[in-house]
Amino acid sequence: MKTRFLFPYWCRYLGFACIVFHIPIILFGKSFGFDPHNLPDEPGIFSPHHLFFIATSLLMLTGLVLVAFAKEKIEDEQIAQLRADSLQWAIYLNYLILITSLVFANQQDFKDILHLNLWIPLVFFYIRFRWVIFRLNRSAREEAI
Amino acid sequence: MKNNIRVERAIKNITQADLADAVGVSRQTINTIESNKYVPSTVLALKISRIFGKPLEEIFILEEGD
Repeated sequence: MKTRFLFPYWCRYLGFACIVFHIPIILFGKSFGFDPHNLPDEPGIFSPHHLFFIATSLLMLTGLVLVAFAKEKIEDEQIAQLRADSLQWAIYLNYLILITSLVFANQQDFKDILHLNLWIPLVFFYIRFRWVIFRLNRSAREEAI
Repeated sequence: MKNNIRVERAIKNITQADLADAVGVSRQTINTIESNKYVPSTVLALKISRIFGKPLEEIFILEEGD
């Protein structure tokens, strides 16, 4: 089975590197007064704070996308099905959280909702996907014993 | 749908890993097909039956309710 639009297997490690690398940058930036979650009200885009936000968010999101959509070592039709199932669950969860937060949030919170939406679908997708594969591997091992 | 893959493997004396390699899937996929947790695509089912040299209907059997 041919799976299109997936990154090569090694991209997973590149993705993890991006995610890990963005943490010290955020910590380092915070010590200089750059807080990506509390942008000051500066006029225009591409202010120093905005650029810092773009750089850190891009690094994290690129990492997450690479990790989530890298090929498995053996990519077969069952993996493709598990991936599709996990994506469906991730979208359900994302919209549940989105709808709940839209109902219960006021206008000041919308920025936080956007932040959540940036990473929740990808993170939940990856956790669910890995969990199902882990369970499959475990049952295969148990049967082999 | 049930299948006779385990029996056919025993007759041919090949492991799940051997069969998985021959049809180009992971061992876990063969394992889940054998334990009826996963229904393979037509292409994969045809590949498996070709490995055993038998018609598809002798390896994969429809059950009532399918």
